[in-house]
Amino acid sequence: MLLKLSFSSMRKMFKDYLVLLFGLTISIAIFYMFETLAQNKAFLESNAMISSIVFIFHVGTFILAFITLFYIFYATSFMLSMRQKELGMYMTLGAKKHKVAQLMFFETFFIGIISLVVGVIVGVGFAQGIAGLLMDQLDFSGEGFHALYKSSVITTVIFYVALFLLTSIVNAIKISSKSVLDLLHAEEKHDQVKAKGGRTILGVIFAVILIGAGYYAMFNMAQLAQFGVILAAITITLGTYLMFISLLPYLMKKVKGIRTLNEKGINSFTFAQLRFRMGNLTKVLGTVAMLVALGLGAMTAGLSFYNNVELQASMFHGNDVTIHQPTEKDIQALNNMNTTEENTYHYKVDDNGVYFLKKDLLDHPPLIKQFNPETLEMPEPKRVATDLPDAQYSNSGAEGMKNIPDPWSTALSTELRADFQMFGDRDIFIVDQAHYQKVTTAEQKVVVARVADFMAYLPQLEKIEKRQQQLAASYTGEPGLEMAGGSKFADYMAYKGIASGTIFMGFFLGVAFLMMMASVLMFKLLSSASADTHRYSMLRKIGVRKSLLVKSIYKELFLLFLFPGLVGLVHVLVGMQMFSFILVEPYTKIWLPISIFIVIYGVYYWLTVQMYKRIVLPREA
Amino acid sequence: MNQAVVNVQNVHKVFGKKNENQFHALKGVSFDIQKGEFVGIMGPSGAGKTTLLNVVSTLDKPTDGTIEIAGTNITSMKQGQLADFRSEQLGFIFQDFNLLENLSIYENIALPLSLQGVPSRKIKPSVVEVAKKLGIEAILEKYPVTVSGGQKQRAAAARALVHEPAIILADEPTGALDSKSAKSMMEAMLHLNENHGVSIMLVTHDPLSASYCERILFIQDGALYKEIHRDGNRNEFHHQILDVLAEFAD
Repeated sequence: MLLKLSFSSMRKMFKDYLVLLFGLTISIAIFYMFETLAQNKAFLESNAMISSIVFIFHVGTFILAFITLFYIFYATSFMLSMRQKELGMYMTLGAKKHKVAQLMFFETFFIGIISLVVGVIVGVGFAQGIAGLLMDQLDFSGEGFHALYKSSVITTVIFYVALFLLTSIVNAIKISSKSVLDLLHAEEKHDQVKAKGGRTILGVIFAVILIGAGYYAMFNMAQLAQFGVILAAITITLGTYLMFISLLPYLMKKVKGIRTLNEKGINSFTFAQLRFRMGNLTKVLGTVAMLVALGLGAMTAGLSFYNNVELQASMFHGNDVTIHQPTEKDIQALNNMNTTEENTYHYKVDDNGVYFLKKDLLDHPPLIKQFNPETLEMPEPKRVATDLPDAQYSNSGAEGMKNIPDPWSTALSTELRADFQMFGDRDIFIVDQAHYQKVTTAEQKVVVARVADFMAYLPQLEKIEKRQQQLAASYTGEPGLEMAGGSKFADYMAYKGIASGTIFMGFFLGVAFLMMMASVLMFKLLSSASADTHRYSMLRKIGVRKSLLVKSIYKELFLLFLFPGLVGLVHVLVGMQMFSFILVEPYTKIWLPISIFIVIYGVYYWLTVQMYKRIVLPREA
Repeated sequence: MNQAVVNVQNVHKVFGKKNENQFHALKGVSFDIQKGEFVGIMGPSGAGKTTLLNVVSTLDKPTDGTIEIAGTNITSMKQGQLADFRSEQLGFIFQDFNLLENLSIYENIALPLSLQGVPSRKIKPSVVEVAKKLGIEAILEKYPVTVSGGQKQRAAAARALVHEPAIILADEPTGALDSKSAKSMMEAMLHLNENHGVSIMLVTHDPLSASYCERILFIQDGALYKEIHRDGNRNEFHHQILDVLAEFAD
């Protein structure tokens, strides 16, 4: 009988349950999405640039599980608060306590299982959709990635069933530990905001120590390695939650204590709302901060791997394009580019060697980059200044000749592309005019140029590269041999091939985390908004203009969004240090992911305000 | 000093659209409330008490007729203006207190002043003064949940009074109180009326509460039914009220 009653009332509260189901479903879907990557070892190992990627994903799973735990507990306690008045009424009418506790248990579990089924299906859909989109954008085949991955499904199901069992038990215990009166009057109770001085300070100190330790670990990731990742994951997660639990309510209390500010206009109400909220939602805000950090972090890392591709490609090359024996088309393509420097060098090729004219080289010494693998810093382009006093030099120690001195050999092989891949096993010579004349084959030339924006000319550069490959094939006699490197463009393509897996993972996870963040916040908003309705209607009655109420809502939600956003952002900014030992410049173009994030977050804030307004503000004729 | 604070002229209120099932809640009600008067509105359930209060308090618009409060015609004002008007000229006391439970009693009372942009240093003396009048200075820093119903209602009265409105509109202020608290609440209102010249319009169905008024308007089926004045002591007036109510029962 009770079961029947409870089902019928669940039907009545369908809208509220829809919000709950939505929140849970998204959480499950995201967890599953994460696991499709985390559990797919073969895919991770063959596509990531980071050797310990599998391990990093394990840590990620841990953080996500921790966040999920908080979230699920919050969501199910929301369900409890929705139901307690009615359950209290059943008890006044004579229902036994253990029956009601049982009911609560089954309801929580039932909702959990429904959302688990839907969540996994949605998760597979998300994984498929997002992965497809990203692979398309990145030109990344993503072989071995499966949107429907068996072991991920199993992990997700086990994890959530355990979690829902736990929360169902907790809800049942909570219900049975409350008296009938407590249940009946649950709605009238307001959550007293506790901000005890001593404990707050202790909490803040702990939070700062924890976060500090985590930051230290990220700065020294190269030395600490796996231990550093674990340390950072645990300390920062705990520290963030602790900070939101202790510091924020305390801060709000202090702000409210400033009388002149508090008693201005509707501020006292806005601050009271905020304080009330923050006291209630510290854990949710902590969760949001962590999700922002993870989502933005993953996206930033992905993007900086992407940017890193160009940086890596230009690490060895002072010039952007090298064209041997340019054809009509090559010259035209080059003319259409915005070049900042262009040099032409003459040479001759016979069966034994390639002979560069010394005068050309000395007249227009090319820019080169000398990369120091120890500092890992981006080398500045330098012009070759070494003199060439001898009449002839070779790269093979030919009889009676000195070896080509180092900056010149670098210039020839990386800038002029006079290497094995272009000319096969011919020796490379630098010779003066007299010796140059003795070579009887036709004179050739090679154009070396720097362009204003390498990334802007990728399609043209690709065509030039193809023609160069054909030329190379005629010298090496191996038409099937693809040049794996040599030119900046070829390097770029090679690095991109390696990096796109990592970029893919970064964006895949970034999108997933930001989506979960959105659902957590939306859930928070919708679950507490209806309780605020009477406050707004009362304010309206005593004569507060609607515009003022709207302003108050904007302000309140802005601050609610601001804190976790800021904390997450700081985590990311510091967290990027973690990659400084694999990325050349982890902070290059960091404004891009941050702007993307701010736009998404901003839109989400605006949407939240609109929905909240709709629920809370009294409708007027 | 016969000056009307409230002037209601031939007010009608019809719920429901034309051609539909219409309900005539007010059928041409007219009355005045003089400055410093304590007027009660009584009548059986469904007589139109709440509707009358809603239109006088500008929360609802009359279908026809005019209402002037403190010389201003409120029937032609826009929503925004009405909100300002409420915050300046009207004080509300509701049956369910309607205090904001996330603000302290002090903050609740101070809210109308803050809304009018009164500087913080002037707010405190006003709040303390009005709290003294109602005998709640000791609980100013407490939150509504931690005080009794009677204290909550006094706090609500203090909030209604703090910005010195033209009139206080009280909707069943004793409805949620026990008889002792109700008595002390009504005594407090009487005190405000007699010693501080506060004009009050009280809507109630409780004859004992109503007996504190100087004058009572009875409405039935949306129209004024009877008007009685207090001439003798409160006890006699109480009986007089009960007599009129008995007529409704017949």
